[in-house]
Amino acid sequence: MTLIEMKGLRKVFGRNIEAVKNLDLSVEEGEFLVLVGPSGCGKTTTLRMIAGFEEPTAGEIYIQGRLVNDIEPGQRNLGMVFQNLALFPHKTVAENIEFGPRMKKVDPETRLRRVREAAEMVKITHLLDKLPGQCSGGEAQRVALARTLVTDPSVFLLDEPLSSLDAKLRREMRAEIDRLHQRLGKTFVFVTHDQEEAMTLADRIVVMRDGVIEQVGSPLEIYGDPVSHFVADFFGSPSMNLIPGTLSQESGKARFRAPGLTVELPPSFSQAPAGEATLGFRPEHLAVSQNGGIFRGEVRLVEPLGKDTLLYFDRGGERPLIAVVEGTRTFREGDTLGVSVNPDLLYLFGGDGKRIRRGSKGTGIRPA
Amino acid sequence: MKRFVKKWRYPLFRTLMLTAWALLAGFPIFWITSTSFKPDNEWHKWPPVYVSKNATLDNYRMVWPIHQTGSIFVTPDQKGHGVAHESVTANKPWHALKNSLLIALSSTAIAVAFGTLLAYGVSRYRILSDTRMFQLLVLRMIPPIVVAAPLTLYYSVLQLMDTASGLIVVYFITSLPYAVWMTKSFIDEVPREMEQAAEILGASRWQTIWEIIFPLIRSGVVATFLFILILTWSEYLLSFILSKVDVVTLPVQLSKYEGSTEGRVYGHQAALAVGITFPLIIIGIFIRKHLVRGFTFGMVKR
Amino acid sequence: MTASATETAAGTGAAPARGSRSRGIRIFKWTLLTPLFSLFFFLMPVFLLQLYFSLHSWTIYLSSWWDADYAGFDLFREVLTESRFYWAFARSFLFAGLSTVGCFIIGFGLALLMYRPFRGHSVFYVLFILPMLTVPIVISYTADMLLFRSGPINDIMSFLAGTEIRFTWLANPNFAIFTIIMLEIWNWTPFAFIIMLAGLSSLPAEPVEAARILGASRLRIFWEIQIPLLRPVIFLALILRFLEAMAEFPKTWGLLQGGPGTSTETIPVYLYIVTWRAFNVSKGAAASYLVMLLMIVIILSAIYVLRREKKALDALYEKPAGGGEA
Repeated sequence: MTLIEMKGLRKVFGRNIEAVKNLDLSVEEGEFLVLVGPSGCGKTTTLRMIAGFEEPTAGEIYIQGRLVNDIEPGQRNLGMVFQNLALFPHKTVAENIEFGPRMKKVDPETRLRRVREAAEMVKITHLLDKLPGQCSGGEAQRVALARTLVTDPSVFLLDEPLSSLDAKLRREMRAEIDRLHQRLGKTFVFVTHDQEEAMTLADRIVVMRDGVIEQVGSPLEIYGDPVSHFVADFFGSPSMNLIPGTLSQESGKARFRAPGLTVELPPSFSQAPAGEATLGFRPEHLAVSQNGGIFRGEVRLVEPLGKDTLLYFDRGGERPLIAVVEGTRTFREGDTLGVSVNPDLLYLFGGDGKRIRRGSKGTGIRPA
Repeated sequence: MKRFVKKWRYPLFRTLMLTAWALLAGFPIFWITSTSFKPDNEWHKWPPVYVSKNATLDNYRMVWPIHQTGSIFVTPDQKGHGVAHESVTANKPWHALKNSLLIALSSTAIAVAFGTLLAYGVSRYRILSDTRMFQLLVLRMIPPIVVAAPLTLYYSVLQLMDTASGLIVVYFITSLPYAVWMTKSFIDEVPREMEQAAEILGASRWQTIWEIIFPLIRSGVVATFLFILILTWSEYLLSFILSKVDVVTLPVQLSKYEGSTEGRVYGHQAALAVGITFPLIIIGIFIRKHLVRGFTFGMVKR
Repeated sequence: MTASATETAAGTGAAPARGSRSRGIRIFKWTLLTPLFSLFFFLMPVFLLQLYFSLHSWTIYLSSWWDADYAGFDLFREVLTESRFYWAFARSFLFAGLSTVGCFIIGFGLALLMYRPFRGHSVFYVLFILPMLTVPIVISYTADMLLFRSGPINDIMSFLAGTEIRFTWLANPNFAIFTIIMLEIWNWTPFAFIIMLAGLSSLPAEPVEAARILGASRLRIFWEIQIPLLRPVIFLALILRFLEAMAEFPKTWGLLQGGPGTSTETIPVYLYIVTWRAFNVSKGAAASYLVMLLMIVIILSAIYVLRREKKALDALYEKPAGGGEA
């Protein structure tokens, strides 16, 4: 069932700063939806329009079938966790959590019980008498979650809640949020600029760019089947190798050329239009050998990550070419190596940044 | 030796200059304090008496009488001759103190209350544009004397002349710009997310103000209150014009000791002046960190 | 993205229902504005009365003010042909101008000595703000005690000069105005001092350090880096002080009542004397009107500058942007 529906949503700030342009999106009940994109892409504005803090310039928002454009945020049955948490610094943790039910005139006894339940759910019962200022970053995060879930909202809106935490805590809290989602079975709309967060948390990812939706899909779809150069580049760490060059069709064979590199493309690309193009392949799909390969080059940097090793090749372009190889095999900086790639795992993007799909002859791209 | 001179030259110069100004700044205050303890034969002495050897509390007893009976109060009239009053007039400073307290406290409280609400509206809902906010300053910057005459007539029509409520209204108006600007500078420092969090949890607009905004800016509101209290308490002109008989305030009461230069009752004036000024000095020192914000309408912080 | 960008949400066609946010906000805004409106309506008659009096000839000796004769612009003409009015203006400008400059120079000097912390800093700070906290009318009476011929100021000066000085600070018509200017400077130097001190201590340290590394002299750093950065604060201090000084009444009146002669008759004192000493209410109203118009011109231009400088100030206080997006 559709829980939130946005139709033709638009937001203009000031005279002509268009933060969101004609957005159509629906959020299904119970799903974990992640809005992701670089800063300034309109994801936070979209979330704030759902919450009711920004009035849409045009378009409609429905929550549970009800038009909420002109409904107070407090009456939309939403819960929100803010980027800076916005805990009330002058109230104790217990008072913070109690605030929502108290505003909704829940009787004191029920209130007390619900505060306790919420605190137990995020394991902060020992903090109830403290002030937010006395809590650590992770603890404050849990308090913010408890304050939201105690009101039993139909939707949780989370605006980059983890951005202020260090890497380790962030991973911990990510797991915590995931666990909450599964336990509560509620709808979550989560905004982030971190692709890794999006990949690990989402049921469905909405990639936004310059106020429009670039692509909607499951994490695997987004990763394995990006619709554009932008999406391909945004997801994956290290990110996809993208090499600008030209595509030519010579006697039925597609050939991609870039400085120091020529690739014979599989027959499935024979319908692709010639001209400017970008070739993409993920670092983990590359194979490295002493000789042969589509490209030969000198290893500039070896970065052992433990399980894998990253090899950086200098191609003379802006970005180095990166390959991921398993284990900690002994490559040394300065070695000259050949790089080869499985032709089935190649991506091709046109001059406009859109993906050039394979024709019927080829096989579909499967995620690795 | 050279190094020693170089190292200490600036601090020495600084201390000298600062001490010189500190003496200059403090001397008048020292002088009224000292004069308030002098017996009457030392008031006009040449060479002047700096610290009296015969210090007495007589001046205070005269100006701030605890018992009304039996005290004769001498003030000079327009020509400088001493005029003796009955004990009833001697009670005037207490009466003026009561008026001053009532008027200053209530007008300040009203100004800060409405000022805070207006400031909140401006900060969060932009109920006044930038231009309107600056126009509000005109209320404060225009010299009150230019509207004093019509105000007098208007007040006599409204029967507000010589009443506490009349002065409270006037002071409310003149301190409103300070109240709005100063509290706004504090409200602007509260993150908006704080209110939005309250809003989404179901708090009404008024609940948000009362439960979230007000507790967070409380110390700022107190500073604003005390700052405006200082201004209202010292105000002279409007009080002088609008209430001369019944609700005399302390500054006007002080000016009732008019007379020619050599005949002034310095000791009594000093005793009264000390009573008017010292509470303000204490308040001022207490909020010294916020004085800048106050005097510059919140434009300069820290 | 240009013309169509100004569309409003009205197109959604939603009827304002219970719990309507836009309606709630509208009501809330108007509720907050109510006191300001009532204040406006309360004050309106004052300005109308002032206009009435400046156009009708009325003194307190006539019984009912609504019977006064229409005088057209005669009263304005009377005021404008009176040299006393112009002298009052000249004195006010002299008073406000000199005292503003005096306060500023001393205040800024003290602030420069104090903006780096040292032992005893807060003691000096507290001592320096004392004059500002003293009630103005108290200052005028204290000044009388200090400056009369057998007062301590003459005594101290005699001591310093080694010969007896009995200077007439107050009764000398050529000097009295300067006595009052000195009082004003004593009273309000703390104002300039605290503003400049706050300005100096909120200056970013990097430009100064960068200049020092580049080998700039102290004086050069002061003129070319600190002064330009301080410009908004300087403007603010000068403007606010000047406007307050133009309206100064208690000290001038309390100490000398415009005398000796008319030698300390500033604009506020002049208006007071015309209206309440000569009881010429209509003439006072006409003069007040002229003063008010002039002051409004001055205030509006001051506000124009203040607005510009406040933007610069806000930029100075703005913290480095922290993440958020449009």
